[in-house]
Amino acid sequence: MGGSPVMSTSIFLTCGVILVFLLRLLASGRDGEDQARVAAPERTRRKSGYALQSRELVFRIFSPGDRDFVSSLRSPQLLRMYREERRKVALHWVRRTSREVGEIMRTHRLISRQSHNLNVATEAGLLLQYLELRSLCSLLVLLISIFGPHALNDLATYADGLYHRLARALPENAAVDGVAPSGNSAAP
Amino acid sequence: MLTMVFWWLAILLEALLLVRGLQKNLLRRFPIFYSYLFLILVDDFFRFSVYRWFPSHYSQVYWATQFPALVVGSAVIFEVYRVALRAYPGTARMARNLLSFVFAMIFANSLANFSGSIFLRLVERAEELERNLRIVQALAIFMLVSVFLWYAIPFGRNLKGILFGYGLFVGVRVLQYGLRYYFWDDIKPLWPYAQAISFLMVLGVWAGALWSVHPVPEVVPVPPLERDYEVLVASTRGQFQRALARLGWAARL
Repeated sequence: MGGSPVMSTSIFLTCGVILVFLLRLLASGRDGEDQARVAAPERTRRKSGYALQSRELVFRIFSPGDRDFVSSLRSPQLLRMYREERRKVALHWVRRTSREVGEIMRTHRLISRQSHNLNVATEAGLLLQYLELRSLCSLLVLLISIFGPHALNDLATYADGLYHRLARALPENAAVDGVAPSGNSAAP
Repeated sequence: MLTMVFWWLAILLEALLLVRGLQKNLLRRFPIFYSYLFLILVDDFFRFSVYRWFPSHYSQVYWATQFPALVVGSAVIFEVYRVALRAYPGTARMARNLLSFVFAMIFANSLANFSGSIFLRLVERAEELERNLRIVQALAIFMLVSVFLWYAIPFGRNLKGILFGYGLFVGVRVLQYGLRYYFWDDIKPLWPYAQAISFLMVLGVWAGALWSVHPVPEVVPVPPLERDYEVLVASTRGQFQRALARLGWAARL
């Protein structure tokens, strides 16, 4: 445990604070709640995956088809209302998906804790996958909150347009040597 | 004077905890924890006597009695691990692996920094040694609490109280040692009071948690098919992949 006093102090303070925080979490936990969850892993499992199965729902919410239709009506007020509503629906869907991912992991933990052959590496891998999914959900929530549900599609369309404009501006051979068009069109 | 009051209060609470443990038959459930309590009660009596009648020897006696308490205190962590994870063999193995990893890292670090006789170091740098051992204990408790929280291990009020109290004690000690580098001159006069008050708080937590018997909640066993770990992992992975696919579509549309 060598090192400079500042380093040691930081380590000690961090350890102490984290430990006290974790213990607070431990103290606030309720065994009864855990028991209820233990008793119903099957029910939890059946409940989860509701939104995950609705592929059509995803297409319906995020497809630019509705927006194109509303835009074609040429009513700025209607378009604004549509954007607001669709943003809310999209955020609800992503948050719900995030909650269900959490539920999947919780069900896994509650069942796997009784398993005799629990594997540390597999559990760590699942934890990483879980964190990746939750981060992705948080990122989507952030993007949708700021730019709306069609943000990534708009970005791809913009990049595609930019590429074509650049390709037209560049000499013939430079465009051929460059990155080929991705084919990521606006259509779903 | 105030130090004496704290001292007697601590002795009183320790004795009360031991008597209550005997009455409620908790000694059989947590033998290491109650051995630890007995040890610190004897330590406190002994230290008090030395402080009262041979104050010049107090420092040596303090450090000589501190190390057995530290070692038995570490065994308390092991008892919490053993009792809480009795019904969870897989989780217990995971906790054991994590704890082994922590101890191996610290042992490697100690070997790397080791110079001279260990006994010489014990005498010369007792305080540093205690500080480092507290860090080891803090890391062990950190690992254990993380596993307990992640797998939602139900433990019952008694065991939770033991772990919470000892964790609080170690956490506060680690914080105190951290603060000493910057504010030693300011906190030196308050140091004995801070230590005594924090320990009284810990004893209060233990008294509250161990006043009566609270059994560890029994877990409803999962059907054997559900316990098949490989199937469970495959199912969880499948659900994660479906979620990822949905999120991918949402992002690409």
